[in-house]
Amino acid sequence: MSFTVFVFGYYTVLLVASCIAAYFNKRAVFMLLFSLTLVSFILGIVGGVGALQTVAALAGLLALAGMISYGFREFLVYLAEGDVGAPLRGNNTLFLSVVGLFTVLAFASSAYGWGLTEIFVFLAVAMIILLPLSPDTAKELRTAPMTAAFGLFVIFTYLVMGVFASYIAPHGEAEVISSAFAPRGEDMLLGADQLGRDMFSRIIYGARNSVGLALVATVAAFILGASAGLLAATKGGWLDQLLGRIADVIMSIPSLIFALLMLSIFGPDISVIIVAVAIIYAPRVFRLTRSVAGNVVVMDYIEAAKLRGEGNWYLIRREILPNSTAPLIAEFGLEFCFVFLLVAGLSFLGLGIQPPTADWGSMVRENATLISFGDITPLIPAAAIALLTVSVNFVVDWMLHRSSGLKE
Amino acid sequence: MKSNKKEVLLEIHDLQIQGYSDEQWVDIIKGVDLTLHRGEVMGLIGESGAGKSTIGAAAMGYARDGTRISGGSIEFDGMELSTATEAEKRSLRGARIAYVAQSAAASFNPAHKIIDQHTEAPLHYRLQKRTEAQEDAMVLYEKLRLPNPDEIGFRYPHQVSGGQLQRAMTAMAMSCRPDLIIFDEPTTALDVTTQIEVLAAIRDIVDEYNTAAIYITHDLAVVAQMADTIKVLLKGNEVEEAPTEQMLKSPKEDYTKSLWAVRSFKREQKARPKDSVPLISVKNIDASYTGGEKVLDDVSFDVYEGMTVAVVGESGSGKSTTARCITGLLPPSKGEIQFKGEALPPDYRNRSKDQLRQAQMIYQMADTALNPKVKIHEIIGRPAQFYQGLHGGDLKSRVDELLDLIELEPAQYYNRYPPELSGGQKQRIGIARALAANPTFIICDEVTSALDQLVAEGILKLLDRLQRELNLAYMFITHDLATVRAIADEVVVMQYGKVVEQGPKEDMFTPPHHPYTDLLLSSVPEMDPNWLTTLLEERGVDNVGDAASTKIDPNDEKVQS
Repeated sequence: MSFTVFVFGYYTVLLVASCIAAYFNKRAVFMLLFSLTLVSFILGIVGGVGALQTVAALAGLLALAGMISYGFREFLVYLAEGDVGAPLRGNNTLFLSVVGLFTVLAFASSAYGWGLTEIFVFLAVAMIILLPLSPDTAKELRTAPMTAAFGLFVIFTYLVMGVFASYIAPHGEAEVISSAFAPRGEDMLLGADQLGRDMFSRIIYGARNSVGLALVATVAAFILGASAGLLAATKGGWLDQLLGRIADVIMSIPSLIFALLMLSIFGPDISVIIVAVAIIYAPRVFRLTRSVAGNVVVMDYIEAAKLRGEGNWYLIRREILPNSTAPLIAEFGLEFCFVFLLVAGLSFLGLGIQPPTADWGSMVRENATLISFGDITPLIPAAAIALLTVSVNFVVDWMLHRSSGLKE
Repeated sequence: MKSNKKEVLLEIHDLQIQGYSDEQWVDIIKGVDLTLHRGEVMGLIGESGAGKSTIGAAAMGYARDGTRISGGSIEFDGMELSTATEAEKRSLRGARIAYVAQSAAASFNPAHKIIDQHTEAPLHYRLQKRTEAQEDAMVLYEKLRLPNPDEIGFRYPHQVSGGQLQRAMTAMAMSCRPDLIIFDEPTTALDVTTQIEVLAAIRDIVDEYNTAAIYITHDLAVVAQMADTIKVLLKGNEVEEAPTEQMLKSPKEDYTKSLWAVRSFKREQKARPKDSVPLISVKNIDASYTGGEKVLDDVSFDVYEGMTVAVVGESGSGKSTTARCITGLLPPSKGEIQFKGEALPPDYRNRSKDQLRQAQMIYQMADTALNPKVKIHEIIGRPAQFYQGLHGGDLKSRVDELLDLIELEPAQYYNRYPPELSGGQKQRIGIARALAANPTFIICDEVTSALDQLVAEGILKLLDRLQRELNLAYMFITHDLATVRAIADEVVVMQYGKVVEQGPKEDMFTPPHHPYTDLLLSSVPEMDPNWLTTLLEERGVDNVGDAASTKIDPNDEKVQS
């Protein structure tokens, strides 16, 4: 009986919505809804009610993602229009001191056990996020595609998840609460892992550990590679040659082998992972930065600045860097994904983040045996990695498109 | 001029073309009519953005990417092109309508020999066999007075000079003996001496085969030589159309008159101040790029305070290299640069802040001379901040003062970025940046050659006013002798890295000349429509351009002195 109601209701909603869309001349919406109706027709005949329900659920999920993206984008546009970042932007010292204060408070809180660490970290991060929200950004956000808004939303969710992990997670990171591979239930949303720890809580904590590590390592690689690249392009001559050959040497060593080598020499410590990954990825950033900056340094405005007597630091900071940011940001998104996958790969091999710290890469490996029993649990941390990399790339694509459009 | 006008070949009626920008269609061509008879040459003139090239392309039934033909009709020899299918239009292009682009170097494929590209169209349309087409190409090369017509086609495009390549391209357009050729600024990128050869060649061959042509250019004097009728365009609208003679003698519209009047700007020549040390003195410098041949050979000249020295010559004559030596970007291998009698360090890195401040530079391409990601107030304010240490309110008022000086409204431009400005405005910002340093000497490297004539005149007047107000000295690098006539006090003529002649402007423009100066001067097109004919009669067709400059007799007494 309830199936009949579902089938009738489903088609009624689709057809009514299609007609409304057609009446208001919303061509794209109409085409989407009506083709969904036709697809549902065929699938309903072939696959019965079950197939229809799957289609409805997927369409609903897509619509939900669309609505969330739309809502999040409008939210950001309103914030940007309100120019919430203005008081911070106008004053560099104020901004730095506020962020610095929150950082110090966060450290103090964790040292003395006030229990407010997460709040202070979040405040510091929020200050940095609010900074670029200006009416100028509002104009660009308004034209952002849905995919970019979705990416921004996912990144924001991961951020909140990582920072407030200890509040969100129902159980501790390393807390054993049931038998191994216990099925999912009231208490455990995603079941237990091979030691009886709550999978859901570990995914939440993993956001902090895996994403944080990948982010720090990528930033380190960028600072190293970009500054070397800019210097090589500006100074030229023997320095350029030297840096270029060093980059060649590093690139000639297979990256995973190099990471394994470093980790087995110095031990699998977080700081070693960061340094190793930064060294592995810096040459790629170096090459890109050098070639982009190489095209900029031949411009007449660089000659004009040189003839004015400007130093290298001014040339790099004010003249070259603003003209090379677009490809660098795109590269950052890509490299972040590669670094994330490398770190996950290292964890999978057992040389990355060490247990009992939760990490998505090692969680895939630890629960891998469940695959043979037809359980999707090991795929969940993998899906978390995939979702983040896809989202980051959505955002990066939008930024790249925006900056290339400006050049026209 | 030709009089064999017969039937109508191309008839464009109420043509409208739209371009896509900022997510909407904007009118570029707003209803232009055009009638071209067989064998007739029509000149299209107007400043950039007037829609000349767009109309030229539309005459082939072609709309560039991002544009569309939105209305009107284009009828070519009884065939309606605006509704024709792509296949029908393709069968015309190359065979019956051909196109000659501005930059021949960019239009030839560097990977193939010239003659192979030439024979492509006749072979494609099965008009000739390969050997026939090659023989025909040689005939055309000879008619266009290319050296070694039997051999030149078997070279690659980079192995022949710019003027020769442009003629080879005209020959290629002629390969199927089309009814109509569209010339899109074919000589704009060439030196005056080379331009003449190309103009003479194009005119003769178009005449010989009775080909109709649309000649697009912004240079009035050139169009006066080439066209039977002239059509003036402004922002997608037709201003007026008339036969060449009539148009030159009595233009009707105000806009046309203003175009004609541009060349009338002239300034009184100043004499050198007596008993004073030259501000900048270039003394016997030689220079070469790393490992290369000498590009400057014993170059010397002086620039006095408050005066303008124009350095003229063809491309490759070492004008810009001299500027690089003065600024210190290229240290000379011999000789020295003196500033107020004191030698400047050859390398700019060794010069003091004050020495750097004294000599500023304005560049030819304002697009690459201004950082697109930096706001106007910072571009202009930086030299003031850097040299005079101005900050806050002082800096802002200095920037406002500079913007006032270059006749731009400060409030409106203060916070904008260079890509938002027009070519002329950008060039003014470039001038303001040079002025911000409070220099005594400014090098102007072809500052007006990328600009339209009206805009260029505005820049020249501005530079002249600034010179009077601030007592600046200019070194004016140019290949345009009309500009020299307008603004210079003294002239230095360069050829092959040597100074061939120098002196006050009046002397330079009155004979007897050095043969090279004479060649340069006589090659500048004049507004008289019979100028080219007269010149070719006087000098002989084989004694213009490159041919003439190689023939300069080294024993001529002016050369010796």
